[in-house]
Amino acid sequence: MNRSRSRAFSLLAVSGLVFAACSAAATPAPAPAGGGAPEALVTAAKAEGTLTTIALPDDWCNYREVIDTFKAKYGLAVNELDPGASSGVEIEAIKANKDNPGPQAPDVVDVGFSFGEDNKDLFEPYKVATWDSIPDAAKNTDGLWWGDYYGVMSFTTNTAIQPNPPKDWSDLLKPEYKGQVALDGDPRASNQAIQAVYAAALANGGSLDNAQPGLDFFKKVVEAGNFVPVDANPGTITQGATPIALRWSYNGLSHRDATAGNPTIDVTVPTSGRFGGVYIQAISKYAPHPNAAKLWMEYLYSDEGQLLWLKGYCNPIRYDDMVARGVVPADLAAKLPDSTGAVFPTPAQLAAATKLITEGWDKTVGVDVVVPPQ
Amino acid sequence: MTAISERAAPLARPARRFSRSWLGLAPFFLFAIFFIGAPVTYLVLGSFQDNEGQTTLQNYADLATPGIANAFLISIEVSLVTAVIGGVFGFLLAYAVILGGLPRVLRDALMTFSGVASNFAGVPLALAFIFTLGQLGMVTVFLKNFGIDPYASGFTIYSKLGLELVYLYFQFPLMVLIIAPAIDGLRPEWREAAENMGASSLQYWQRVALPILFPAILGTMILLFGNAFGAQATAYQLTSGLIPLVTLLIGNQIAGDVLHNPGLGYAMAMGMVAVMGASILVYTVLQRRAERWRR
Amino acid sequence: MRRRRGSIAWWLIFLLGVLYFFLPLVATLDFSLKAQPALAAYTNALKDPKFLTSLLYSLVIGLLTIAASLALIVPTAYWVQLRVPRARSLVEFVTLLPFVIPAVVLVFGLIRVYSRPPLPFTHTDIGSSALLVAGYIVLSLPYMYRAVDTGLRAIDIRSLTEAAQSMGAGWLTIILRVILPNLRAALLSGAFLTLAIVLGEFTIANFLARPAFGPYLNLLSQSKAYEPAAVSLISFGLTWLAMIFIAFLGREARTRIEIGGAH
Repeated sequence: MNRSRSRAFSLLAVSGLVFAACSAAATPAPAPAGGGAPEALVTAAKAEGTLTTIALPDDWCNYREVIDTFKAKYGLAVNELDPGASSGVEIEAIKANKDNPGPQAPDVVDVGFSFGEDNKDLFEPYKVATWDSIPDAAKNTDGLWWGDYYGVMSFTTNTAIQPNPPKDWSDLLKPEYKGQVALDGDPRASNQAIQAVYAAALANGGSLDNAQPGLDFFKKVVEAGNFVPVDANPGTITQGATPIALRWSYNGLSHRDATAGNPTIDVTVPTSGRFGGVYIQAISKYAPHPNAAKLWMEYLYSDEGQLLWLKGYCNPIRYDDMVARGVVPADLAAKLPDSTGAVFPTPAQLAAATKLITEGWDKTVGVDVVVPPQ
Repeated sequence: MTAISERAAPLARPARRFSRSWLGLAPFFLFAIFFIGAPVTYLVLGSFQDNEGQTTLQNYADLATPGIANAFLISIEVSLVTAVIGGVFGFLLAYAVILGGLPRVLRDALMTFSGVASNFAGVPLALAFIFTLGQLGMVTVFLKNFGIDPYASGFTIYSKLGLELVYLYFQFPLMVLIIAPAIDGLRPEWREAAENMGASSLQYWQRVALPILFPAILGTMILLFGNAFGAQATAYQLTSGLIPLVTLLIGNQIAGDVLHNPGLGYAMAMGMVAVMGASILVYTVLQRRAERWRR
Repeated sequence: MRRRRGSIAWWLIFLLGVLYFFLPLVATLDFSLKAQPALAAYTNALKDPKFLTSLLYSLVIGLLTIAASLALIVPTAYWVQLRVPRARSLVEFVTLLPFVIPAVVLVFGLIRVYSRPPLPFTHTDIGSSALLVAGYIVLSLPYMYRAVDTGLRAIDIRSLTEAAQSMGAGWLTIILRVILPNLRAALLSGAFLTLAIVLGEFTIANFLARPAFGPYLNLLSQSKAYEPAAVSLISFGLTWLAMIFIAFLGREARTRIEIGGAH
């Protein structure tokens, strides 16, 4: 089952970021602007020997390469728990393993934005060397959690089934897409699905404060007969059951690479209603390997780690800082889809929209509404 | 037969509520306490808590909300339908290979296959059916070549009917496997004796075979009911967004991506426990009725 | 017994069943072969050495679960039918509980209780594996109990017990040498169901951090398009082979000890 996550990241922070980058360069900082771990931490982590992670699929933001290079670089073993776990399960895993130093206890988590503040009493505060280059809107001031990457809601189309991919939200209502449009997950529970509805609102007269038009839009999609109520994943997209899926850009792009033309997957960011979703990292307060956890964070937030995420089509949180310092290779940057104008909700906006969508889906769009003939 | 069961009297103790015979069940109950008790306790305690950890009855009150109540009704309906259909056809299938005169090797093949198929569920099963009967499924395309378009006439795999069709994939084999020994227990001499007395096939079934098999069939149907009732992953993949089932709602609350209310999830799970308890009651009543006319 | 020749009706039912069961498998196979080259999805899956090690681990765990499960359930079901029929409803209720406990709740509940003294199972490898077996006994409880119970109903345990007791047999002998041999078909069914559950199970093995087959298969399936289909068919095929092997072991299944008969 696909993880879905959601995050908020204010666009104002971007401009603040350039400012921060400048001031970071001006103030004498103990750590290099590109990040990195102090020797003492590396030694302590090696003494622990293992890191336990959870919910990191191979092809999500290129985590396979991230983990493998981390292992090679520091000689640590990485014990990977359930790659498909959802954010809720990651939190449950921390809670359940409070007294357990065994391999079942996760050291670090990568969860949806809304999980940060609500669970901060489960996290251990830590500020990576490059802390200052993380936008303020995407981190907790006490260092309990911090943003890691973001993507944009996009249309993933199997061109073998549908040679004419939609370009914008209004296209989804066209008769040629009958029975082809699907969400990745249940919009009453999965972040990726909920954010897709939220994104639709932006393009249909709504705003970050008003997600209701998103629900109304999907009601129209259902009434047009274009909606297929199946959980879209690479399997169903490839086979053709869900030819047009609404997924995060990085998911779509890694799927495109995986099929390598068999069939060709098209990933298009809609022209209007561009919506960004952010995720966060945190260290468990009960981590059996706290130093390994901190080393992992230092690695992820070094330029090297951030660029590996970029390779997986995820915009790393320090992206603008790295662009400003000129450390992002041009060819890597070119691979990202054009997402100018993407907006990011604040935590409060996200919470309100989520509540509206999860509670309103059944009423507005659900079983009672006319669905493809039974 | 009756002579034998009369001789059972010396073995049976006078009816006392909790005679010492219950001690023989101690290992079972101990195991249950140790390994089922822990999670269940957690379920019970958690169902009385809200997100801040305060004690509350709100979760149970929320069970009556239309969304959740509806989910219970639909879950029960789907489970009941697949239990009955699964029970009937599964029984016929098992009978066919055991006493239906088919070659012996088919029985072995069906039994081993049933072992695997009974656990073929979740995403792989849902995908298999989407690949078969989805809009671009193998069978759908095949039928279209003959001018039959099931989707045009209103069929869709993404419906309650579709879900029930898929659930049967693990219900049939379960019935086959469990009822087989009972069918084995039907002595061929009884059939021959019945025929010697002039009974027709129907009478044999009505008066001999079905009464003997009834408790086993009923017991297995309860199993099928629980099996379907507790299924989650299959339903998620197949109907995400349209059909509310209790297991899906629980999954959303406890293991979802959006921060919800685990306490509510636990209360719903307790609701499921209550449904299973009620089904045991119904089963026990039906069983007693059946045994009455066995004597 | 003179078997009646298979009538058309029974053949039809059987063939209908075959059609229903095989079409989805064929569709999955068809889809998995669409990879380029056609068998790529399968070779990718089978190349890995961890494939064999995780399969072996799960097989061993499966056999242990079957053995422990039978040791727990056969005497219990026997005792309920023979001596304590009043306990039936309670026992059956307990055996149906695993259906309504979500797997994540089960595994996290077990971890919570058994990750600290006095019973810190999760602190050691052996302990964690033992906890896994316990978890699987719980998961297979409904099926195992029902299989054994149905099997017991089909034989006359009162007479068998009486006869054995009159010859001086103790309870252990009765169960091992009189009851069990008569339950072969039922025991095989229960064993099949348990093995299928263990080989396919994912949640508990994963959260207990055990190197089992389920988590391994899941790893292979991550977000790829054709591999999951190939992997589910491989899993199906291997499990079926394991069943056939177990069935072969239980081959002499048709002997029945008859009361008052020629034996």
